[in-house]
Amino acid sequence: MILSGYIHNGDHWLSRMDARVKIISTLILLAMVLTCEGTSFPLFLLLCGAGLCVNMKIRSRMLLMRFLEPLFIVAVLFILKVFFSGNVPMFSFEFMGMTVTGFREGFMEGMRLGCRITGAVMIVAVLGFSTPFNQFIAGLSWLKIPRGFIEISLFAYRYIFMLFEDAMVIYSAQKNRLGYSTIRRSLNSFGILAGALVIKAFDQSQKTTVAMTQRGYDGVMPAPEHKPFKLLEIGGGLSVIIVMGILWKIW
Amino acid sequence: MNSVKKIFFVALICCGLLLSADAVYAMHIAEGILPLHWAALWFAVAIPFVAFGLYSLNKRSRDDLSFKPLAGLMTAVIFIISCMPIPVPLAGTCSHPCGTGISGILVGPSISVVIAAAALLIQAIFLAHGGLSTLGANIVSMGVMGSFTGYLTFKLLRSFRMNIAVAGFTAGLFANWATYLMTSVELASGIKGDTTFLPLFWKILVAFIPTQLPLGILEGAMTAGMVVLLYKKRPDLLIKMRVIKPTEAAMHRQGITALVAALCITGAALSAAAPADAAKWSGVDEVVIEKVASEHGREAGATLIDLEQGDIGLFLFLIAGALGGFAAGYYWRSILAERGQSLDDPKEMRPEKQR
Repeated sequence: MILSGYIHNGDHWLSRMDARVKIISTLILLAMVLTCEGTSFPLFLLLCGAGLCVNMKIRSRMLLMRFLEPLFIVAVLFILKVFFSGNVPMFSFEFMGMTVTGFREGFMEGMRLGCRITGAVMIVAVLGFSTPFNQFIAGLSWLKIPRGFIEISLFAYRYIFMLFEDAMVIYSAQKNRLGYSTIRRSLNSFGILAGALVIKAFDQSQKTTVAMTQRGYDGVMPAPEHKPFKLLEIGGGLSVIIVMGILWKIW
Repeated sequence: MNSVKKIFFVALICCGLLLSADAVYAMHIAEGILPLHWAALWFAVAIPFVAFGLYSLNKRSRDDLSFKPLAGLMTAVIFIISCMPIPVPLAGTCSHPCGTGISGILVGPSISVVIAAAALLIQAIFLAHGGLSTLGANIVSMGVMGSFTGYLTFKLLRSFRMNIAVAGFTAGLFANWATYLMTSVELASGIKGDTTFLPLFWKILVAFIPTQLPLGILEGAMTAGMVVLLYKKRPDLLIKMRVIKPTEAAMHRQGITALVAALCITGAALSAAAPADAAKWSGVDEVVIEKVASEHGREAGATLIDLEQGDIGLFLFLIAGALGGFAAGYYWRSILAERGQSLDDPKEMRPEKQR
């Protein structure tokens, strides 16, 4: 699983930066990418992001896996746009007795869409690689995201790894007993696995509640603490946004 | 090229792409696909559902402190389920289920929207499944459509007293398909540009068919498997989640007893209603064996234990009644007791004061 290979480089300067600054910068950059009409700006952000990932010592396999789904979607959308959008023919070929024509407008639109998706994915990937989840959630709570949502996200993040290990144990046991040898048995085994996870989640929630109640839990978890902003970090974030804003306007 | 050929060609290309992929996670709308105004619109649609879900969550957690941890753990379960690839036979590839149908059934659709939102946020940050700008659209398709469709289908079928496995299967199936229907709407509206909406919508829908048609069936089977497992092993959990009523679980256990009793009574009634001259019918012993034996000079003797003579029948009936009564008395708790009162643990059998 990708989570098991998640590496957070805590020594990098971007990782040490305040999560709130990173979240706000990310959201502004995302808005710029989404409203951008050309391909140069998202491509520039893609290159900058790739450079930062290399600098943070993120493995290339990890980066590739992050982009697997977006690239697949880009491929499908690109094909849809090239062959079904536009009027000016760019190229054509014979396929199974049919003449298939690619259109210039569709090609340009597909390229623009592809660049926009990969650029936006890279921005969020950099945020994900440089920010631990707890800090990210603390940043969201500063942005006045409702407390209930923050609490559920923290609970979920805490127990994902534990439940995932349980799921793997069950899966291995089922697989060793040929639980996935046929489609019918696979479905049955997967249903049992998922049901067993729900039962474990239920039992664990009872235990957790008892343990938390003993420590004074009354239904509301304490809010994450926020350190005061550093002038240097705010200045750095602002500089990046201003520079990117100028490039966005030019390109 | 006419439109039918175009659709066929798109489907063919998409099948090819899917076949070439080892594991495809074409589940959520990826980051950057939707223009800003469409992303904002879907956020605006999602926010009331999330807000109502949070209101319901807070309300329920005031009554039951364990509900928030439970919702968090359910989020983790949904996250894991939607990360596990399962084979899609027709596409020759792997995809993963949504899981929002089952969460809608278990915790209710409004809270399931919050659970889906939290799971989607973690997926967007960790796995690049979905994204921050498309979070609203993904919440609407997976959270709102998936949860509400799954929940409503399940409730509707159960109101017609449909079998829990059938209801679970249909709920999972429809939840999955509703999710992809909504995803197609969102994608088509987001990327249509200057073209018209409907043709692009149909093309995207056709592109989804090779994976989502069988995947919906697989998700339905998975949901049915989960619900049946919980129903059999932990009905107390389903009662706590308000999926079934306590009386229904008790009725499920008592139903088996009632069935056995009904069979016994029917058998007794049928024997009582049998014609009186039925006893006169000769058996194979008398018709064949006795006849052949008497032809060879071996006449039949008197019966060693003749049940028709004296009170032997009554005596045997009394012994059978005593044994049956003893067995019924010994096991009556296991037939009528609630599931929470385990018979394996002798402490559970004791009254509260003695523990």
